[in-house]
Amino acid sequence: MARLLQLGAVICLAGAFVELCAAQDFRVPATAVAGEGASISTTGIGKAIFYLVGPGVSRKNDLTLGEEVQLGPQDLRNAGDYLAIVCSGTCRSESFYVSAAQPANLTFLVHPSRVPVAQGDAVSGVAFPFDQYHNLVLTPENISFQLRGKETPLWSRSVRTQNGVAWFRTASGKSAGALQVVASLGDLNTPRAVEQVASDPCNLRITGQRTPKGILVQTEPVHDCAGNVVPDGTIVTFTATGAAGVGTVDAPIKQGIARAQMEAPGATTISVASGVVMGNEIRVGAQP
Amino acid sequence: MSRPGRGELRIRFAVAALALCGLLLSPVLKLHAADSAVEVQLDAKNAGPRSVESLTARGILRDYRFAWTSLSHALESNSVDPLAGAFSGEASQWLRQTVASQQKSGLSRRYLGQSHQLEVVFYAPEGDVMELHDTAQYESQIRDKDTTIHDEHVVVHYIVLMTPGADRWVIRQLQAVPQF
Repeated sequence: MARLLQLGAVICLAGAFVELCAAQDFRVPATAVAGEGASISTTGIGKAIFYLVGPGVSRKNDLTLGEEVQLGPQDLRNAGDYLAIVCSGTCRSESFYVSAAQPANLTFLVHPSRVPVAQGDAVSGVAFPFDQYHNLVLTPENISFQLRGKETPLWSRSVRTQNGVAWFRTASGKSAGALQVVASLGDLNTPRAVEQVASDPCNLRITGQRTPKGILVQTEPVHDCAGNVVPDGTIVTFTATGAAGVGTVDAPIKQGIARAQMEAPGATTISVASGVVMGNEIRVGAQP
Repeated sequence: MSRPGRGELRIRFAVAALALCGLLLSPVLKLHAADSAVEVQLDAKNAGPRSVESLTARGILRDYRFAWTSLSHALESNSVDPLAGAFSGEASQWLRQTVASQQKSGLSRRYLGQSHQLEVVFYAPEGDVMELHDTAQYESQIRDKDTTIHDEHVVVHYIVLMTPGADRWVIRQLQAVPQF
């Protein structure tokens, strides 16, 4: 009977020893960076199956317990939450995070692409730093925004990213022409172009004279209040008021001037407007 | 061999019609069931510099729920088809990589009982990009063919970038972080 008990105890101890030795344990990396390799150390004896589950990866391979599992740069390209699972009879799991690498790209959105000059809060930009694997870099970075017009610095500001984003909003410049907007982070520069155009006409003035066909009216060169030439194609409306009634003619600006021929045999008052801007009025006498 | 009677024909026709209805409606019912399993709540109070209008908030809720429903289907069935329309850019790319990798390894993932607490932390001045924080809770199951190798209730923090598409908001970036 005693011998039987002894045998049982030996078998039990041996079983426990084998179980203890085979019990898998492993350690995942405390910190890991996207695109850099890492390793997972394991303890125990025997064979197991290793799984790595994360963003963009689902890996499964055989494992000899006690050996290290090498995770290559390709396994950890995407920042995020990873799970390592080791199965040997039972399965155990540990999770770890992979953070983004250093900034390698700067995504920069600028609005609008075309803006009138001297408008408050008219130009805005948003920048996101990404690493070379397109992971959003969440550690705070200082991004420098610069606005340049015709090689003249107009405005600049350094903004620290919050939650991986930095942004600005500012007024447009005073001169028509190309506006270069640049976001910089270290050696990274991302330029964007905004076309600044003249604002609404200012001091719209017309002259007129009677001709055999009617009245020829034309504007003086049309500028905005900052002196920029209003772009060709901008519509100017001439209104003739006389005994015969009211007539209007829309004419586009060509080379800075808008012209129109109006039929009005009697004495006529002609006014001019462009958008919400009114110009002067002129009176033209009746046809002789 | 006797021909079936009129009554028997009617029964056969009814059974066939029911079977056809079941076949046609099953994807719809399945989609609805899965969709209703994804709970999303949105907090847009702290959005800035642009404020989020109520119509936009409703669109975000609808499209974010749809995106997670699609993601779950894709990673459970190992098919990229459900991803179309809900994701673009980097998010679409890593999800497609995940599906391809799962097809190769024989693994699949399930996200059960999803609950997402979304908070808008940035809405661009011109409304062309939005950043959100999602505190997601779900039961994460990982299966190796028919065997469940991992089953855990998890809380995961996601940084999300969404941009407006032609008719919906799409997820461009979906990145888990340890905390906000």
